[in-house]
Amino acid sequence: MNTDETITEDYQNCITKKDLHGIFFRSMTIMCSWNYERQMHMGFMFAMSPIVDKLYKDEEEKKQAYRRHMEFFNCTPQTTSFIMGLVASMEEQNAKSNGEFNTDSISMIKTSLMGPLAGIGDSFFQGTLRIITFGIGLSFAQQGSVIGPILAVVLFTIPSVLTLYYGTFLGYKSGNKYLTKLYKEGLMERVMQFASIVGLAVVGGMVASMVDIVTPLEFTSGGTNLILQDMLDSIFPKLLPFISVLGVYWLIKKNVSTNVLLFGIIIVGLILSFIGIL
Amino acid sequence: MSLIQAILLGFVGIIAVIDSRLIGRQNIGRPLILSTLSGLVLGDLQMGVLLGASLELISMGFVSIGAAGPPNMQLGSIIATTFAIVSGASTETALTIAIPVAILGEFMSILMRMVIAQFSHVADKAIEENNYKKARNIHIYWAFILNSFLYFILIFLSVYLGNDMVANIVEIIPESITKGLTVAGNLLCALGFAMLLVTMLSKKTFLYFLFGFLVVAYSQLDLIGLTLFAIILAFIIDKLSYGKKEIN
Repeated sequence: MNTDETITEDYQNCITKKDLHGIFFRSMTIMCSWNYERQMHMGFMFAMSPIVDKLYKDEEEKKQAYRRHMEFFNCTPQTTSFIMGLVASMEEQNAKSNGEFNTDSISMIKTSLMGPLAGIGDSFFQGTLRIITFGIGLSFAQQGSVIGPILAVVLFTIPSVLTLYYGTFLGYKSGNKYLTKLYKEGLMERVMQFASIVGLAVVGGMVASMVDIVTPLEFTSGGTNLILQDMLDSIFPKLLPFISVLGVYWLIKKNVSTNVLLFGIIIVGLILSFIGIL
Repeated sequence: MSLIQAILLGFVGIIAVIDSRLIGRQNIGRPLILSTLSGLVLGDLQMGVLLGASLELISMGFVSIGAAGPPNMQLGSIIATTFAIVSGASTETALTIAIPVAILGEFMSILMRMVIAQFSHVADKAIEENNYKKARNIHIYWAFILNSFLYFILIFLSVYLGNDMVANIVEIIPESITKGLTVAGNLLCALGFAMLLVTMLSKKTFLYFLFGFLVVAYSQLDLIGLTLFAIILAFIIDKLSYGKKEIN
């Protein structure tokens, strides 16, 4: 990478090819501590930590960078390294800028890219590539041939690992090349608006397609059986997931702690299920 | 079933954990591969491959995307393959063993994800105390060891103590509890998305969230299609808010 050497001249604590290799390897552990609260957030922190340690000598700045990467994160593992490369270049610019860089934009870039990249990554890797490669493997396995499982893994893993590897460098390079320019020309605001529109729309779509809350309630009136869920579906489909997400969102905004929410939701879920509402 | 075989089958479970936890889900933890490995351990490779193919076929659609957890076919396939090979049961019998085990396994996973949510609070605290190494260790060691340990123990105990035991445990849990836990799990997805929205949503941008939601709710459009529509919307809004300046 040519860019490495040009940066080295004016700044000694810069990101090298070796650091990016580190991101590539660490990005694979993104799901290690997957949890209900902030999902892949610790994996993101783990992957960024060598770079954060290297770039920030000031304790307070360093701590803030760690806090930044403990925020909610969820994406497809295969497309995550691209975001990490991009974020690495932003962290580098922040470290060089002496406080002129708006660190909120780092979090914004993360949250606005993870939605679309998860959408694309899941559909491509789990929805398309896996179906094709395992379909090929299955045709051998059904004859009892051990080539089947081997073929399935090899065919899937090669494009998957290549995407991870080149994604890291592509993310870093595009960040390095365009971000400074974007800031200087005041285009960052536009990019942020663009990214937040796409990101929020996809999250809205994910709420509609992935949150599975339905009611089994039925009413009998005048001999006809009214199934509540069917009525809801014809008036406002996915109303229950929508209300649930916004309800919990409101509670978080009211500063209800996530622990209370976590256990409260489990208890509420069990009770609503027992009395037959959900 | 020898003790060594039971231990090795536990390690096949750890391979499944490594696949999702440490190497970014290369799909080595799919039933096709895990059943093959279980067959290898039990000395009947071909039967393992054949059972793997059947189990893979029924679970093709089981992919964990985001917070939604499908039945845990990793545990299901290892345990079902073992019972089928040891008892000489048919493929169909193997499937009927696999599904309850897989559903039971998913409850374990749900509990684990809640426990790990507690880990992240410990990591938050460690960061506030400048103990960054501890925060990293929680991610890479604590979470991995907890997962591996649970998979190992569950597989080891169920294959070593036998078929009846598993069937009994599955029967003991009343249906109302399993149903209730499924509902609770689905509600927890709502929590995940709500937390995501806290970092993104404002009064100004609520409409974009609503846009994506309504498009998918009413048309069942997939996420790629939605992304393309959202890009067009973003272009239009970009033109509306900045378009004039560009001409100058």
